Amino acid sequence: MDIVTQVLSGVFAVGPVAAMIGASILGVFIGALPGLNPVMAIALLLPLTYSMEPLVALGMVAGIYNGSMYGGAIPAILLRIPGTPAAIATTFDGYPMAQRGEASRALKIACWSSALGGTASAIALMTIGPILARATLAFGPAEYFWIAMFGMASIGVLVGTDAIKGLMAATLGLLLGTVGLDQLSGTPRFTFDQVWLLSGLDLIVILVGLYALPPVIALAEAADLKGLSAAQLKLEPAKVPWSEVRSFVPTWIRSSLIGIGVGILPGAGGNIAAFLSYNAAKSASDDPDSFGKGNPAGVAAAECGNNADNAASMIPALTLGIPGNVIAALVLGALLIHGLQPGPQLFHQNPGLVGGFMVQMLLTSLLILAVGGAAATKVFAQVQRLPGVLLVPTILVLMAVGVYVINGRVVDLWIMFAAGLAGYVFEKVNVPLAPIVLGLILGPMAEQNVRRALLISRGDVTELVTRPISAVIALATLGLIVYPVASAIMRRRRAA
Amino acid sequence: MKTLLIGASALALSATAALAEYPERAIEVTIPAPAGGGTDTSARKLATLLEEELGTSIAILNVAGGGGSVGVTQFMMDKPTGYSLLATWNSPITTVPQVQNVAYDVDSFTPIASTSETAYTMCVSPDFPAETGEAFLAELAAKPGKYTYGNDGIGGTMQMAAERIFQARGIEAVAIPFGGAGETLQNFLGGHVDIYGGSISPVLPYTESGEAKCLIVTSAAPVEALPQAAGLEELDLGAEETLLWRMVLAPAGLDQAIADRLAAALETTVNDPSYVEFLATKGEVPNVVTGEALAERLRNEYDALAKVAANLGLGQ
Amino acid sequence: MERRQDIVLGVVFAALGLFAAVRAAAYAGASGTYPMVLGLALSGFGILVAGKAVLRGKPEPRPLTLHAGRVAITVAIGAVYLALVPILGFYTASALVVLALPLALGFRQPVFLALTTAVFIAIVWVVFSIVLEKPLPAEFWQTF
Repeated sequence: MDIVTQVLSGVFAVGPVAAMIGASILGVFIGALPGLNPVMAIALLLPLTYSMEPLVALGMVAGIYNGSMYGGAIPAILLRIPGTPAAIATTFDGYPMAQRGEASRALKIACWSSALGGTASAIALMTIGPILARATLAFGPAEYFWIAMFGMASIGVLVGTDAIKGLMAATLGLLLGTVGLDQLSGTPRFTFDQVWLLSGLDLIVILVGLYALPPVIALAEAADLKGLSAAQLKLEPAKVPWSEVRSFVPTWIRSSLIGIGVGILPGAGGNIAAFLSYNAAKSASDDPDSFGKGNPAGVAAAECGNNADNAASMIPALTLGIPGNVIAALVLGALLIHGLQPGPQLFHQNPGLVGGFMVQMLLTSLLILAVGGAAATKVFAQVQRLPGVLLVPTILVLMAVGVYVINGRVVDLWIMFAAGLAGYVFEKVNVPLAPIVLGLILGPMAEQNVRRALLISRGDVTELVTRPISAVIALATLGLIVYPVASAIMRRRRAA
Repeated sequence: MKTLLIGASALALSATAALAEYPERAIEVTIPAPAGGGTDTSARKLATLLEEELGTSIAILNVAGGGGSVGVTQFMMDKPTGYSLLATWNSPITTVPQVQNVAYDVDSFTPIASTSETAYTMCVSPDFPAETGEAFLAELAAKPGKYTYGNDGIGGTMQMAAERIFQARGIEAVAIPFGGAGETLQNFLGGHVDIYGGSISPVLPYTESGEAKCLIVTSAAPVEALPQAAGLEELDLGAEETLLWRMVLAPAGLDQAIADRLAAALETTVNDPSYVEFLATKGEVPNVVTGEALAERLRNEYDALAKVAANLGLGQ
Repeated sequence: MERRQDIVLGVVFAALGLFAAVRAAAYAGASGTYPMVLGLALSGFGILVAGKAVLRGKPEPRPLTLHAGRVAITVAIGAVYLALVPILGFYTASALVVLALPLALGFRQPVFLALTTAVFIAIVWVVFSIVLEKPLPAEFWQTF
């Protein structure tokens, strides 16, 4: 009881509440602008709070993190430009919905799904977090390799209409993922003596080019000089009937569990959670072919999945002192600066602070409903009232500034531009983009871990499948590949 | 004569004027490591104090990759104006050039000041058959190739620090490179590698809970926070000391007056009680070496590590 | 199954894969094997795409652009913009592109355009230079 009052009185003080609300609004904007991402925003703003109350700093982290994960969905739905890497899967069905004139409905579903995913994740953080964190220690390099393979298998649903081109795109992504200094041998690969290539191709740089430039060129081609009128915007609040809400419940439960599971594993991330959730929703659907053509369940799955990753990704950081991603590392850094020692004793050391942060992760998830639902969505949808030809250079400038500030390098601008032109051509000739990105994300994870596992087993390949957890994930991967094929055959038989 | 005097004093005046005006705008600090890591938090905390001391704002740019070489190389393109500084740990300057073809060396910088230092440690699980540093090395020597140790990356300073000790004792252990101390810790706690090798602060809570037994530190003297761990001096390996230390550098050719001004400011801020206390929570101690002495320290470390790298077959 | 495009696409990927495989062959041990296999696989997929197009392709090409002129204008001005960023400075180059690109695409409301440019650049400046204090390429009048 004592701890509860201590936590709540800390969280509901003026400073932390203002930080949460302000940061949630800011987070939605950061997520919505292509190029800006929560890691950058938190890295920049957190040091400003070092002299403040710790709960103000942590409230800000929670707000930006949760807000931006939803914010990424706004341009994904309206313009087919994912605001953050985790919003790629949201474009699959969100943009087709917007084209049908259901932008408002898609945004509403994204908003609810984000809030629900985030809430489920925060509850997991508060309740079962410490137990789960211990369990993740059983995951060694061999298990991480299989998780990456499991993610790769989900490419099956992303390859589009032409399977060979889909696989070709995935291979290209894997190959691009090998650029840079090989972590296990120190060999520079495909760096052509350019020092900036040693760290590999930056995911955000490639992503902004690949996904934002083609829609920008499409806007230029349309050369719209007037902009949509208020009536054409169809922004009157869309009704989502209860029957439909009920139909999302299984998707939400599934995606929340996937997001929490992926989040709690150090090293996996929200983008993988969104892809896996989308894949799961599609596999479970009676009508998988409707996905990618504007099925609202696709939006619900992706957005719920990427927000469910957030609070869960803090579990290993807060309970074990092991940061699972850069944001968790930043939070640990901030705690250190406030004189706290991250590790298993952290909660006992300062329950008011750690508990307070958990409550803040929960509250900011719910705040998405308030700041994301009405206000932010309206503001951003106004963007569409601008003539399209004005959007073309402004988005271009935002892409440039977002990419430049990541590393402070001019050459990144050209990488972004080249990736964008390639993306434009690929789309026209039916080469899907999602497998490229997935290969780029998962390739290094798979390669490094399989080689580490083989170093540990002294080259014995059988250890990759004889460890119990490895065996389970390996079988699940196999199932993921076989199931859609089998069910497609079954359906065809039934139809015949 | 009179004109000469006026001329000379005018010259002296303008020189002091340049210094008096410094700093007149924001200083940009490049950190060649990702946000949130040990070097990053140390530098950011120091920057908040330095902002007050110098009366200007400090912008921080993280450029990670290549074990630090990407950020350092990019930093080398900056001009020695005093408005771009590098806050780094020793590895990118003294270790990385042993294994990578980099475009800089110790002489590419104006040394300003070192700030803090700490040792690396090696820890094992509680059931490991050794209770002291000496027994730990004996066990490793008796079973060549049996044990795996996690480290911060191939050719990184942690691996060098470990291999210096191993080479001196004829020990063979399998190095498993990870992406950082956090990842190493995770794999050590999960039992996927036998030995944790890395900085002290991440593993510290686990020595208190009894899940890790730290038997060796790579400094000559023992470390207060790890009472069970032997310093290298008591193992007769004092000459093989390898530390993790942090410093602030500027591009070569920085005006000496500005360099001195910065070194003095760093000396004050590093020894600020709040910073010393912050360092203590991370198992670090303040250590300020400035100017030519700092350059000397970098050169000596570079030469010692070159030998280790050559023996490992890592050199180029 | 547009024949010519897919043949070109397949050949480009096959060449890219082969190039990667040859480079990777020079890397030691496991660090070379993996990218080499990927390079060969990429070549294989490229050959498959090209081969399929030769056998079953239809001669009518997909349009690569909806309006070739506007694509060319956008890409050209975009490239000039990126080239000017380090020369003129970030804000100068950005203001120029926000003014020039709509004009080139046929926008003829100078007051609206100037106002949008001013407001937009001001917002970017406040966010990045004031709030976030991020160093951007310096303006040409600041460096001499």
